Parts: sequence; C-alpha cells; structure tokens
Amino acid sequence: MNPKFIFHDFYASLKQWIRSIGTVFWTILFPILLILIFGAIFSGANDISYDVVIQNIDDGGFSQEFIKIIDNTSILKVEIIDNNEDIKTYMIDNDKSAGLRIPSDFSEKIQQSFYDENITVNLTFLSDPSDQTTAPIIKNIISNILSGYNKGITDGRVVAGMDTESILGEEFEFIDFFVPGIIGFTIMTSMIYGSIERNTKYRKDGILRKLLTMPVSRADWIISKMLFMLVLSFISTFVIITVGILVWGLSIKINIFFFILVISTSFMFSGMGMIIGRFVKEEETADMAGGAITFPMMFLAGTFFPLEQMPAFLQSIAQVLPLYYVNEGLRNAMIYNDMDKTLFFTGFVLIFAIVFFVLGVFLTKWKED
Amino acid sequence: MIAKKVRCSKCGKIITITGSSGEVKKVNCPDCGNKGKVTFKKYLTNEDIAIHVSNLTKLYGNLKAVNDISFTVQKGEVFAFLGPNGAGKTTTVEMIESIRKPSSGKIKILGKDISTSFKEIREKIGILPQEFHSFERLKVRETLEYYSKVFENHADIDEIIDSINLGDEQNKLYRNLSGGLKQRVGVAISLVNDPDIIFLDEPTTGLDPKARREVWDVIANLRDRGKTIFLTTHYMEEAEYLADHIAIIHKGKIIAEGSLDELIDRYGEGSILRIKNCKTKGIIDALKDYGYYVFSENNGDIAVKIDYKEKVMNILSLLKQECVDYESIDIRRSNLEEIFLRLTGAKLSDGGS
Repeated sequence: MNPKFIFHDFYASLKQWIRSIGTVFWTILFPILLILIFGAIFSGANDISYDVVIQNIDDGGFSQEFIKIIDNTSILKVEIIDNNEDIKTYMIDNDKSAGLRIPSDFSEKIQQSFYDENITVNLTFLSDPSDQTTAPIIKNIISNILSGYNKGITDGRVVAGMDTESILGEEFEFIDFFVPGIIGFTIMTSMIYGSIERNTKYRKDGILRKLLTMPVSRADWIISKMLFMLVLSFISTFVIITVGILVWGLSIKINIFFFILVISTSFMFSGMGMIIGRFVKEEETADMAGGAITFPMMFLAGTFFPLEQMPAFLQSIAQVLPLYYVNEGLRNAMIYNDMDKTLFFTGFVLIFAIVFFVLGVFLTKWKED
Repeated sequence: MIAKKVRCSKCGKIITITGSSGEVKKVNCPDCGNKGKVTFKKYLTNEDIAIHVSNLTKLYGNLKAVNDISFTVQKGEVFAFLGPNGAGKTTTVEMIESIRKPSSGKIKILGKDISTSFKEIREKIGILPQEFHSFERLKVRETLEYYSKVFENHADIDEIIDSINLGDEQNKLYRNLSGGLKQRVGVAISLVNDPDIIFLDEPTTGLDPKARREVWDVIANLRDRGKTIFLTTHYMEEAEYLADHIAIIHKGKIIAEGSLDELIDRYGEGSILRIKNCKTKGIIDALKDYGYYVFSENNGDIAVKIDYKEKVMNILSLLKQECVDYESIDIRRSNLEEIFLRLTGAKLSDGGS
C-alpha cells in the first residue's frame, strides 16, 4: 500500500468534487430538497387503509354495539384480538398500522353518562408512526364514527373520546421514517454514479490506461477512491441529518450500527457501480443502466413510502432489493432503536456489501485484452 | 568495412564507396567532378537501442491484429509508427507499454524485457495514450503535480511548463483548454518523471492545422533535448516532418521501414517533373527518343521521371529547343502517401482499405 498516493489521489478527488456543481447538487442539495418537499407533503397527508385491530377489554353491550358500527363501514376491516394479547406486540408482529383498545369500563361509563353529564370515556387509538399516510385516515374514520355514536346516544354531547398512542412507545413522524430512506438513497446514487464514472469515463479518457503504465497499484487506486466516497457518504449523511433536525425536529440515535450501515452501504453500491461499468462500457449507456437500477429501487425499496402501502407483489420485490435492507437497517438503528431488527438488516447489508464489492473489484479490469 | 553504391546526383553515374559503420565520407564523381557526402548506416550496439521488438504478434480469436513484427528504435530518435486507422498501431504500442499482453514475441525497453522488468522500466518512460483526456476539474499545474507525485523520480514542474509553453494556462482548469492545449498538457504529463523514452499515440488526431503544428514543435523540441520518441500516427506529414525513422504498418504487418530518404529511394518513384497543359503534339515521343521515362496523365499533363539533377536542365533545354507550348512546370518528390499507395494499393488517409 502506498499511503502517499492514497492521500494525494484523495485530495485531487476532493478538489474535483468541490468544483463540480452538479455532483455537489446531487450529493447535498438534492436530498435536502427531497426532505423539505416530501416532509411538507406528508406532514398532513391522507391515504386509505383497510385493516384495524380491535381489543375489547369491556364485556358490556355498548362496546359490542360500537364494534358492530365500525365493522359495518365498508372502509374498515375489523380484526378482534384476544384480551390476553399485547396489542402493540401483535400489531408490530403482524404489520398492522392501526389498532383500537376499548377500555374495560366503556359500557359502564356510557350508561352512567345518561344520568351524569360529566362522565366521559376514552378509547385508545394505536398506530405505527412510520405509517403517516394510512394510520391518520383510520384515525379520522374512527373519530367520525365516534362523533356519530356520541350524537346517537347523547344528542351530540361528547361522551366517548379517543387518545392516541404509538405502538413503538414513542411518537414518530413521517420525517423520522423519511430521513433514513433519503440517506440510503443518496449514498446509493452517489456511489453507483461515482463508480460508473471512474470505470467508464476514465477508461474512455485513457486515464486508466495511463495509470496502468505508472507506479500505481489497482489496490491503492481503489482504496483512495473508496476513502473519498466514504467521506462523501458521511458528508451527505451529516447534511441530511442536520437539516432533518433543524427544520423538522428530527430525533435520532447514533450507534455503531449506523456507522457500519453507512460504510457497508457505500461499499455495496460502489461494487454495484463497478459491475455496471464492467459490462456497459459506453459512458452514456452506463449512466442509463445506473438510472435503470437506482430509480426503480428508490421507489420500490421503501424510501419514500412504507412498504405496507404497496401491493403484495411489489412488497415481495422490495425484499430482494439491497436498498430495502439499507433503509430498514438505518430506520431501526437511528430511529426505532430496535436492536433485533437492526442486527437483522445490518447483517443483510454486510453480506450484500461483501458480495457486490468483491465481485466489482474482481470484475474491474485495467488491462485490455 | 561496408561497400555502398551511390548515384551521382548531377550526372547519374553509379559509384561504389567503402566505409565503416556510422562513418560520413566525402565523394567526388569521377565523371563530372560533382562533390558530395555519403553516410554509412550505423550498426547498433545494445547501448544505442531504446526499444527492440521481435516477432511480436497479437491475436484476437482468428484475427491477427499484429502479425509477427520486428523493429528497433534507436536512442534519441523520433520513431514514427505510421499506418491507417485499424492497421495495428495502437495495439502494438499498448503491448510495448504493457497495457496489452502479446500473444507471442519479445519486447525489450532499454535492454530489459518488459514481461519481467516493467516496474523498473515504467519509471523511465512517459506515455500519452490515444484520445487522452485528463481530469476535467484539475488545473494544469495541479494535473502535472498529480501525475508527478506518483513517480519516484520527477522532473521540475516549472521546467516542464516552460518547455511546453504552458505558462499562461497553468492555472486554468483542464476542461477549459482548447484541443491543442489539452494535447500539449498530455505531452507535458508524459514528461513528469523525466523519462528517457516518450510514447505519443496519435498526439495530433482531431486538431486543427495550427494546433497540430504547435504540438509538432513541442515534439521536435523534445527530440532536440535528446529524448527518444515513439510516435504513432496516421498523418504522413507528421511522420515526414518529425521522424528520423519510419515504420509503415498495414494490416498488422510492417511493410516498409527506414528513414524518409531511404523509403523514398527504395519505394518511391524519385522526383517527377510535370509539364502542365502541354499543347505541342509529339513531345512525348521526342522525350522518349532522348531516353526519358515519360508517361502522360489523364488531365493532359506530361510527367517525366527525374533520377538525377542534370536531367532537369536537359529536359528544359529540349522543351526550349522544340518550342513546346505549356502552361507551367513543377518538380515534386515522392512522399509517404505515394509510397503507401504503391505498396498497398490503398490511400493512407482512407484507412488503408
């Protein structure tokens, strides 16, 4: 290894990057724009969902009647779960984004309210915070049903109300879901396109042929470029998180898995770019090939929308996309703090990173046939 | 001792002279007294050889891109590897530069086999690849510093900038330079390790005549500084202007090799005197009667082969004597284009096919 060359090449790459307005835009400004635009759009978003889990702890008739009203709406599909189940765990395990808990004193309180105007009772609405499109709609529908119910029994006086709780124990917003997705997406695009440029443009321009005749090893060249790309990944990540915190009040946790994920994601997508550059030698065609891979992955891997909102067959496709594991890994490491899931997704990302990077390095040739 | 036959440029007499390798000998024509010099070809020792290629072949499937070629490049000369596009020039030079692996054959640079000693050799060679473009967003000086720092031995950047005349451009971004300047920077990059041998692969392709001339001046200047230059080109004017030694490659084979004079002597038609728009009938027969090799051309011009100076005066006297009516006369020497056409039946500029 030649540290002098690595430093020297790294410094030259950095200078060129700073002078390239387009690259700086895609690496830093574009993700910021996405955060601001999508954050604004989804802060008050509405969407449709069908499933609602109900746990009825009350054994009176009013609660049964209320469930029947919900069940009679064509929009909501009710699933009653046993009182012994923990509703939050059940929702997480079964990917349910909305649930309703009817308290044990529901019927009793409703009955008392006929005589005492001050008596009220609250249901608990539980939701998956990452699903900021489906859950609010369900909540809205149930609120409307509650209004109708109140009107029916007390001529409009609010007896039955509703509290909201997150199934993750913390309140999350769309931006919490969105920021890790943007980090994954930004690393993906800058790594793939950076790699493609080095392997097609530099080949076309004779730079790789020139390097072949100079005292530079392929390993030193790849190490210096990867170091530079890693620094870029962390710069992008830092900027995205900073904007998320300053503009949207994002709350994140930084742990070792976060760093492992950023690093292995960088290696994984660099490897993918190398593979594209190996097989598609024309610069323009390689860019198109890069787009053909990054764009579908961006939409299908749960970057902007929760996977649960997509049709089942698209969800199955997402499960084979590397970006899905990056997004979910980052979300669990940075936001949900779910160590089991973090380990699971980080493991997959590491495997993808090793496979793609090793394959990319192995397939990248400097020497001509 | 070596015996050499030369023709007197004045009267055409064949004279036999003896001398030794590399010797320059004065000659007097015994018939007309014309004085001249004869240079005996220098037989090279290992110390004189920069590049030696023997039986080099490159196969792509059944296609022989380079077909068993051998040649030697002398230290301090400009060696032009001339041929149309697709002839095998770049494949050959890239095998010498160790970018491509030969199918068979040997290549030695400065006496060392490149298959075993390339790491040592690469410190002593500088390369400008074909269609080379450096990093778009580095300035000229930064570019030279970038490549320079890779080598153990590096030349002074200021000196390179001065010698290639890049002083005014050194702080400009590479992407903002004209095509000619980019090629000059490419040549400058090949000098960053102060190499003994410089490989320039098609350094002026795509340049306008002015920019091409500027690059030629840079190359000529390098030769004057004692560098050995391996120049790959498909421009015959470039080879004629710059080369001390020329190898013509066609369909993977070297079909002719030597200095420009040697190639013209060996394969050219010598000099041709052309009488333009001749209106006097019977002049062709008259010239033939005097023993001249005459041929009429399609456009009505008459061409006469000139193999020594005296013939020109004799023909002019004959034209005057016969009161021949003509528009003009010019004398032209054979060039590489004609030699290539003669050897291959194809034009160099048409890609040789």
